[in-house]
Amino acid sequence: MNVSKSSATKHILKYLLSSFMALTLVLLTACGSGSSGSGGSGKDTITLGMVNPPASFNPINTSDIAGQFAERVMFDSFLDMTSPMKFQPKLANSITTTDDQTYTIHLDPKAKWTDGKPVTADDVVFTFNLIANPASTVAVGSNLSTLEGLDTSGKLAKGQTAIPDLKKIDEHTVSFKTKAPVDPNYIKEMIGTKIITLPQHVLKNIAPKDLANSKYMQAPNVTDGPYKFVTYNNNAYIQYKANDAYYLGKPKIPKFFIKIEQASNLVADLQTGAIQANASGGIGDIPYQDLSTAKGLKNVTTTIHKQIGFQTMQFNTKTLPNPKVRQAIAYAIDRPQIVSKLLKGQGEIIDGPYTSLSPYLDKSLTKYSYDPAKAKQLLKEAGWDFNKTLNFVVPIGNLVRQQSGDIIVQNLKAAGLKVKETTYDFPTIMQKGAAGDFDLLLIGFTFNLDPDVSALYGPGGTYNFMKYSDPAATKLLAEGKAEPNAAKRKVIYNQLQAIWEKDMPVLTLYSNNEIVSISKDLSYGGPTPYWPGTVANFQKWAFKK
Amino acid sequence: MFQYIVRRILIAIPVLFGVTVLNFFIINIAPGNPVDMLVNPSATPAQIAMEKQSLGLDQPVWVQYIHWLGELLHGNLGYSYATREPVTQILAAHIGPTVLLMGTALIIGYLIAIPLGILCARKQNSWVDYLVTGFSFFGISVPHFFLGLGVIYVFASKFNILPTGSMNTLGGNGGIIDTVSHLILPASVLAIGIAGNMVRYVRSSMLDVLGKDYLRTAKAKGLRQFMITNKHALRNALIPIITVIGIDIPMLIGGAIVTEQVFQWPGLGLLTINSITSRDYSTLMAINLLAAIAVLLSNLLTDILYAVADPRIRYE
Repeated sequence: MNVSKSSATKHILKYLLSSFMALTLVLLTACGSGSSGSGGSGKDTITLGMVNPPASFNPINTSDIAGQFAERVMFDSFLDMTSPMKFQPKLANSITTTDDQTYTIHLDPKAKWTDGKPVTADDVVFTFNLIANPASTVAVGSNLSTLEGLDTSGKLAKGQTAIPDLKKIDEHTVSFKTKAPVDPNYIKEMIGTKIITLPQHVLKNIAPKDLANSKYMQAPNVTDGPYKFVTYNNNAYIQYKANDAYYLGKPKIPKFFIKIEQASNLVADLQTGAIQANASGGIGDIPYQDLSTAKGLKNVTTTIHKQIGFQTMQFNTKTLPNPKVRQAIAYAIDRPQIVSKLLKGQGEIIDGPYTSLSPYLDKSLTKYSYDPAKAKQLLKEAGWDFNKTLNFVVPIGNLVRQQSGDIIVQNLKAAGLKVKETTYDFPTIMQKGAAGDFDLLLIGFTFNLDPDVSALYGPGGTYNFMKYSDPAATKLLAEGKAEPNAAKRKVIYNQLQAIWEKDMPVLTLYSNNEIVSISKDLSYGGPTPYWPGTVANFQKWAFKK
Repeated sequence: MFQYIVRRILIAIPVLFGVTVLNFFIINIAPGNPVDMLVNPSATPAQIAMEKQSLGLDQPVWVQYIHWLGELLHGNLGYSYATREPVTQILAAHIGPTVLLMGTALIIGYLIAIPLGILCARKQNSWVDYLVTGFSFFGISVPHFFLGLGVIYVFASKFNILPTGSMNTLGGNGGIIDTVSHLILPASVLAIGIAGNMVRYVRSSMLDVLGKDYLRTAKAKGLRQFMITNKHALRNALIPIITVIGIDIPMLIGGAIVTEQVFQWPGLGLLTINSITSRDYSTLMAINLLAAIAVLLSNLLTDILYAVADPRIRYE
């Protein structure tokens, strides 16, 4: 090292500064390329704010709503459910059946992939068989589990590659058969709106086991929806561009973005026009404390929507085997306070897994009221040992739910119960739940509109951490799933709700409404009251002239 | 010197190996696994078991580690459990923004801290000194997220002069101006913390040097104060400060994680948080490895700079 003394420092600083400047320039030019056109004010770009990053763009292996939402910008389902049980055609003109067992999908003959090839019956058959292939990794397997020849996970037996009664009738017609008659609404929802057709000519040479890791599934380059995928900048934004040849009409806005951001930034971005709306479906929730700010903004319209998702407190029926104790705890919880305080009144108290959006909610059911005196009395009757400490686990990630945990702890203490609350992140909660390492556990769900909730109440259900198993309820669950007639199903699910109300394996706490804000610059578009309706007509979204 | 650098790099290899072993097992001790975040509510237990098998999560931890290490030695960091993208691709997309943010913050922080620190030392115990020291305590103690939300409220929501977050205007032309305007707030928030920390070091180091005999000699020779401070004193005062730069880098990585969250800056910090919450083992391992390399490199760089600044230091 032979540097003259006086200038060494200067050299160091100079070197640091110049290398930093060079680096900055390189990076800026690297980052600055890629997007073109004018900013959000130019009315050629629509941006939606979303809080949860999508887990995947693989249409047959996506379980999160954020991912499903992002996929539906570029991929079409057979049908759209614009509001509960209201279906409208999309890739299929209709799904029909005469006997509730053989179903026929009639594709729109105009539908095309972005490479110009038509969407055909072969693509549908290919997709169904791919999902059912034992070697493929999928999240929508159970959606096909009612089909002839498939197990409860919707898979074929090892070595098989074709679903037995899946037939191509002609270029645009496909039929399939279920094991037994099924409610047509179930098929329309679980297959019509949730199974996304994939292009056979693009994917046929990829082995089913390699599909999930394939390039196509990270950046789908041949799609059939209103917009084409451009790029995904992890955890920052998803960029799309209009599919000008879209068979349902050229999209009115050329550029489409989903911006992934903190919930606390949504209102600021609405105000500055950086986003035109927030995503609905629980993946772009504006925090309740920002509701009055959002309502005060002059450039957006803010509305409140009900949801089908709900929050629960599960009881461990192995450590709390006496239903009387569980009922007592249900009486002890001040749910009205949770809704009024934490949700600013924007939510409903529900008993059972159906919110008021569901046609299967039994409205005649008497709800558990907040009654601490009754709680104490029931605990005494049950001979509860007041020295026992309840192990109460709460997941982080949903602030309102976390705060509701604190209210619940106070309520339980007021009823004379000892309780120890611990918070964990979500994967830990899943593990504790599966291991039965809890007495009380908070967790939220968004199931389908179809009333089958075996995953939560059925023996062996993925989310039945309660280890709840009641012979009468188990039998009814199976009957409800198998009954094709909607009116008869309603009777069955009413009986189930009565049993669950009495047994109290899980206390449903509340279903929170969501706050949706839409820019007044839009003449059409924005989130609809039921999230799957939001993704129905992206091609029609437009700015005011 | 060259030999010394080579030796240091060779020592780093077993250190990195130890880091990966520790990380891998710590990550695996954390309850839950990637599949918990991937399944949908109506998945059957059989489906979940199948998913675990396909990701190799049904193997014992040490088998998983050896597999991971083997892949690493072939230059393969594996696939993200969450998005299924190659991890190298994910890292490549996130490293630039983080370096840009941290580099800018570091430079701004030092450009504020060094002159202010010198000023404090020169005007010891005056109101200027107290004011700057007060500012430095504020800079050290105010949490990044709080300051971040504060500046978003003032500059974005209230006056709408700067964007609320992310790195570019979506659908915009991009370009330098756009990126710089997005960079100002997060870099400033990080820089305030760095400057607050640095000012104290510069001040005390400078005070130390200013009291030295050779400076009194320089003064007696009739040199102007400006020359004394900035030429004779500063260079010697810089030596301990260089050490602080080495300490600053790991601190900066921590600060960047929080700041990137608040500003949705698409860098490694945001990626880290999301990888932890989704138990994305492969991505997390790669980030940890990268952070460990960055820390080891910054320590090495510090030692080299030390020798450059102080000719008395020789590495054999």
